[in-house]
Amino acid sequence: MEDCLAKKLEITVSEAEKRTGRNAMNIQETYTAYLIETRAVESQSEGQCAPVDSLWRRYSEFELLRNYLSVTYPHIVVPPLPEKRADFVWHKLSADNMDPDFVERRRMGLENFLLRVASHPVLCQDKIFYSFLTQEGGWKEMVNETGFQLKADSRLKALNATFRVKNPDKRFTELKHYSDELQSVISHLLRVRARVADRLYGVYKVHGNYGRVFSEWSAIEKEMGDGLQSAGHHMDVYAASIDDILEEEEHYADQLKEYLFYAEALRAVCRKHELMQYDLEMAAQDLASKKQQCEELATGTVRTFSLKGMTSKLFGQETPEQREAKIKVLEEQIQEGEEQLKSKNLEGRDFVKSAWADIERFKEQKNHDLKEALISYAVMQISVCKKGIQVWTNAKECFSKM
Amino acid sequence: QDLSLPNGTPVDTSSPASSSSLLNRLQLDDDLDGETRDLFVTVDDPKKHVCTMETYITYRVTTKTTRAEFDLPEYSVRRRYQDFNWLRNKLEESQPTHLIPPLPEKFVVKGVVDRFSEEFVETRRKALDKFLKRVTDHPVLSFNEHFNVFLTAKDLNAYKKQGMALLSKMGESVKYVTGGYKLRSRPLEFAAIGEYLDTFSLKLGTIDRIAQRIIKEQLEYLVELREYGPVYSTWGGLEVELSEPLEGVSACIGNCCTALEELSEDMTEDFLPVLREYILYSESMKNVLKKRDQVQAEYEAKLEAVALKKEDRPKVPTDVEKCQDRVECFNADLKADMERWQNNKRQDFRQLLMGMADKNIQYYEKCLTAWESIIPLLQDKPETK
Repeated sequence: MEDCLAKKLEITVSEAEKRTGRNAMNIQETYTAYLIETRAVESQSEGQCAPVDSLWRRYSEFELLRNYLSVTYPHIVVPPLPEKRADFVWHKLSADNMDPDFVERRRMGLENFLLRVASHPVLCQDKIFYSFLTQEGGWKEMVNETGFQLKADSRLKALNATFRVKNPDKRFTELKHYSDELQSVISHLLRVRARVADRLYGVYKVHGNYGRVFSEWSAIEKEMGDGLQSAGHHMDVYAASIDDILEEEEHYADQLKEYLFYAEALRAVCRKHELMQYDLEMAAQDLASKKQQCEELATGTVRTFSLKGMTSKLFGQETPEQREAKIKVLEEQIQEGEEQLKSKNLEGRDFVKSAWADIERFKEQKNHDLKEALISYAVMQISVCKKGIQVWTNAKECFSKM
Repeated sequence: QDLSLPNGTPVDTSSPASSSSLLNRLQLDDDLDGETRDLFVTVDDPKKHVCTMETYITYRVTTKTTRAEFDLPEYSVRRRYQDFNWLRNKLEESQPTHLIPPLPEKFVVKGVVDRFSEEFVETRRKALDKFLKRVTDHPVLSFNEHFNVFLTAKDLNAYKKQGMALLSKMGESVKYVTGGYKLRSRPLEFAAIGEYLDTFSLKLGTIDRIAQRIIKEQLEYLVELREYGPVYSTWGGLEVELSEPLEGVSACIGNCCTALEELSEDMTEDFLPVLREYILYSESMKNVLKKRDQVQAEYEAKLEAVALKKEDRPKVPTDVEKCQDRVECFNADLKADMERWQNNKRQDFRQLLMGMADKNIQYYEKCLTAWESIIPLLQDKPETK
């Protein structure tokens, strides 16, 4: 297997810039553009610094890329983009797309997306992806020329349609169920986490009031004054520390969000399989009914009710020549149908094989990433506790000097 | 815990080098006069009494003493809140020139609190214990006869019914003028005390509000945390390899919840009541200052009346002399009490605030232990299991 792109090419989304321009409807709009920088890795090992290539892309182009990948590789769990709009915010966090903190987190999310695609054994080889990173002009046209939009439209319809598969693949059914549950539980977690952040912010900030009142109180005290004053300062430090703490926690929330969106990608693969299965069943059903029709015409027996049978009863039997013609048409259709069914079956088996391989890869990645995320969350909490102990120990010492 | 050598000689606690003076400093109620303590009072063992008319709590008051004023070296009596209240009123009446320590509030402000709950009773017990210890430590109040009776009488109600007990010279000599006298000039030091007490109680009020607000915010934070932890558990149920790590995080958050609950409880039970006690203390002290002003005003008015009469008397009339005595006694008592109060206040607040810091440290230490203990669980590789 070829080395994935990530090993050969260093990719970063290094900057974000506000732009104004006119959109397709000639209305002025403000948007953010992101600078993608790439540099070949090989020449670096020789001690030389390779030149950096760069180009600007906006979020909608990333979306186009992802749509293209999802449609072109339906058996792959395609990495998700960072959220389009700020969601799960707690009150201090802005829901504004133009807010610098949001833009910064989105920049990191976009870089993460590109790295995920570049390290995927299948996706990294895609030419459109490579051009996205390296070809500034004409990329959009290139994508549209692939004609993926047609597939995209029908895929979108299919993803939302309701239909029943007679013989569902148990593994895919279970996986789809899992992806639904995962989306639900991570959403819940993110919502509560945002509320927890909000409340914790309140607790820390109120302590800042101690700073002011201790200072005022110390003014009327003789021996107690100094101790109170300096303790008050530590209370101010404590109150101020929450801002950094919560900023770091946002990073953890982003890691969870990635897997919230990954769950959707996983679901899409299951859905695609369901669609193929349904398609297959319909084709098989169609073939079976045509075979039956053929048999009926040939033997002259009508086993099942059909409009044809009714009309022939009402308006008289067909002539042998007419019948022969019909049989011939049916036999051609049956042959076509059998070939189609064969290729569909093959397609289906290939899909299952490659999808399942990617799903296994995804599972491992997910377990690894989420474990790392939990570890870093625990480490973060440990740091918060240690800071808390430090501040209160300092305050205690000041009080002891009262 | 008598500070005396085995042969009975009292130990001099004024020299800093002596180990008993070190012991003295470590004791909660530091006797700064350096006197050997000969009176020890404790309030404990709350018991509920259910009678036809009412339900109430009594506390055991234990006294150990070598003072001659007491017939026995040890006493153990049971007293209820109204008995403490009676004592305090009697002390105020009979020792008007002194600062009488406060009692915990009579009525519970928040109707939600259960008068018979363990926490409330314990908080009250501590405050009543503090009250008696402060009286015990006072060089004048501790010799008050009402205090003696409170500590020793089997039937306090009988004594109460007697009305005014043995007349105390001091108490009798200071009668209260019902206003009408305007103070010319308040001595600077008493004006300063008044201003100090005003600002002091104001600041304490602010601290009380802040502390209450913090507790409220903490409890709201706790509500969210209690929902947060279990979601990790639910997630763990969906997973295979991540099941244990997620359960671990859930349990960890649960432990932090317990720690937070303990912190809020401690602050409510130990911190807030002491603040409130000092606010009450300030109020009663300001009243004593007012009384002092009245006594001085009376003296000044009488003095002026004499001067206006322009009679040539060889000596100042006795009642004016008595007034002067009263003013000087009052001023002296008050000054001494203020100094004592300032020192005790400093100790009390030092202890209170250090205690608050300690509780917060303990909270963070509990959380730290919880999070540190799951790191190995999170890092555990499935192959090693």
